[in-house]
Amino acid sequence: MVGESRTSLFGRYLLIGIVSLIVLLPVYWMVNMSFKSRAEFVARPPTIVVQGPTTDNYYDLLVTQRFFRYGINSLVVALIAATLSVVVGTLAAYALSRYRLPRNFNYHLLFTMLTVRMFPPIVTVIPIFVIYNRQFFGYRLLDTHIGLGVIDAFTELPFVIWMMIGFFRDIPRDMEDAGLVDGDSRFGVLRKIAIPLAAPGLAATFILVFIASWNEFLLALILTQTKAQTLPIAVASQITQFDIKYGNMMAAGVITSVPVLILALLAQRHLTRGLAVGGVTG
Amino acid sequence: MTVEGAIEIKESRQIAGTPWWERNLAWLLVAPTVLMFVVFAVIPAFTTIAYAFSRVRMARGGITREFIGFENFARALQDPLVAQSVTTTVKWMLVVTALEVVLGLLLALLMSSGIRGRGLFTSLLIVPIIMPPVAVSVAWLFMYDYEFGIFNYLLNEVGLPSMRWLSEPAIAIYAMMAVDIWQATPFAFLLLYAALLSLPRDPYEAAAIDGAGRWYVFRTVTLPLLQPVLLVVILLRLIDAARIFDKIFVMTRGGPGSSAYTATLTIYIEGFTKFDFGYASALSFLFQLSLIAAATFYVKRVLADYAQPAE
Repeated sequence: MVGESRTSLFGRYLLIGIVSLIVLLPVYWMVNMSFKSRAEFVARPPTIVVQGPTTDNYYDLLVTQRFFRYGINSLVVALIAATLSVVVGTLAAYALSRYRLPRNFNYHLLFTMLTVRMFPPIVTVIPIFVIYNRQFFGYRLLDTHIGLGVIDAFTELPFVIWMMIGFFRDIPRDMEDAGLVDGDSRFGVLRKIAIPLAAPGLAATFILVFIASWNEFLLALILTQTKAQTLPIAVASQITQFDIKYGNMMAAGVITSVPVLILALLAQRHLTRGLAVGGVTG
Repeated sequence: MTVEGAIEIKESRQIAGTPWWERNLAWLLVAPTVLMFVVFAVIPAFTTIAYAFSRVRMARGGITREFIGFENFARALQDPLVAQSVTTTVKWMLVVTALEVVLGLLLALLMSSGIRGRGLFTSLLIVPIIMPPVAVSVAWLFMYDYEFGIFNYLLNEVGLPSMRWLSEPAIAIYAMMAVDIWQATPFAFLLLYAALLSLPRDPYEAAAIDGAGRWYVFRTVTLPLLQPVLLVVILLRLIDAARIFDKIFVMTRGGPGSSAYTATLTIYIEGFTKFDFGYASALSFLFQLSLIAAATFYVKRVLADYAQPAE
C-alpha cells in the first residue's frame, strides 16, 4: 500500500517482532529447560538462558529410560507409512491424471478418498482394533509396527494422491509422448519418465507423510502397547506418573520435535499445497 | 476430472497386440488404493454400524456380539456426559476456528503490506504447524505449571496471584484452546497469505485512483476476493478442531474431572478404558453423521476449481 508513514511502518515491524516472540517462546523455553539441572530448574527467578547446561535429562531419558527404543519404533512406523502410502498413492495419482476412467470414476475416487480423510480417526478405530486383536495364523497385528504403519499409510493416502496429481500435471506431456513414440509402454513411461521428473515432489510428499505419521497420536495410543509404542505415546505416558520429571519431559519434547523440524525444512516449499487437504495437521 | 489429452479407456483397449495388463493399466494402478479403501474404510464403517446396534463384549480371542436394537442410541441421548462433551466440542470448534482465522487473516494482511523478511517469518511460522502436538502440549504444560511455570512467575512479578491454569474447570479449557490457537493460527495464515499474494492487482489500483480508504478497500475488494479461500480455511479448521484429542489428553486427560471431555475423548474413554465397544460405536456413528455434511461440502469446494467431472 502507498504513502506509509514511518511510525506505522515501525509499528508493523514491532507487531511482527511480538508475534515472532510468541511463536518462539514455548519452543525456546522447552529447549532452555531441557538443559537445566534439577536445582536450576526450580530456581526463582527462572534463568532466561541456561546457566550450567547439562545433558543429564537427555542421558536419563535416552539411556536410563531407554527412550531410544520408542524413537526407533516411531522411525520404523513412519517409514512403513510413508513408503506404502507414497507407492500406492503415486500409482493411483498417475492413473487419475493420465487416464479418463469410465463413469467419472476419477472424480468419484478422489472425492471419496478426500471425504474419508476429513473424518475423525476415532470413528473407524474400534473395528480396526478388534480385527488387529484377533490372531491370524498365530500372528496379531495389534502392537506391531506394520499394523500401525499400514493404518497411517491409509490415513495419508488421500493426501499423497492429491499431492502427486499436482506434480504429475506439472510434467510436460511432450516428454511422456516422446517415450510412447519410442515404443515404451505406459508403465515404462511412468517408471522411466514421469517418476524421475516428479522425484522432487515425490520426496517432499514422502517427508510430509513421514512427519504426519511421526506426530500421529490417537491411533498410536490405541493400536500400540509396549513393543511398538511410538515416541509421542511414550512422552504422554510419562505424565501419568506421580512425580512428573519435567526436565525429562522437556528433553523428550525436544527429541520428538527435532527430526520433524529438520525434515520440514527440506519440504518447506511444498508445504502450502499440502495444507489444504490436511496433510500435516490432525 | 478432465485432463487434456487424457487417454480414453475404450480407445486404448482396442489397440491390438498390447498385453492385458497394459490395456487395463489404469485399473491396476488404482487397484491398491481401492483395496485399502475397502479394508480400512468400508469394512470398518459397516462394522461400526453393526456394533452400534449391539452389546459387544471382549472375549478370549475376539468379541461376542448381541443385537440390542437402538438401546445404545437411546442411552446416548440421555447420557449427560455426551451432552456435555457435545457442548465442549462445539465451543472448542467455534472459539479456536474464529480466533485462528481472524488472527491468521490479520497476520496475512500485515505480511502482504510491503514488509521485508517475509520469507524468514513464514519459515518461522512453520515451526508450530509441524511440531508434534505432544511436544507442544508438554512445552505448554510446563509453562502452565502452578509452581514452576513461567506464566505464574510473570503474574507474581506484576503483583498478581498465581492461577490454576489447568486445574480450574472454568480456565483449563481456554488455557488448552490457547495452545491450539498457538499451533494452528500459522496454518490459517499460510493459506490466507498464499491467497492474498495471488489476488489480482487491478481492483486495488482502481481503488487507489478513487482515493478509497484502507478499511473501505479491505471491505469491498479484499474480503470478497478472499471469500472462497476464507470459506475453505474456516471449514478445514472446523473439521480439524472437531477431532481435538491429543492436546487435551496430554495436558489434563480431559480434566479437571470430566470438564474438558470432547467428542473424541468421550468415545475413547467409553471404547478403550471401559471397553464398551457397542456404546462407543454408536457414539462414533453419531459423531461421523454430524460431520458428514461439512466434510462433503468441503471436499466439493476443494475439488470444484481443481477438477470438473468429465463431460
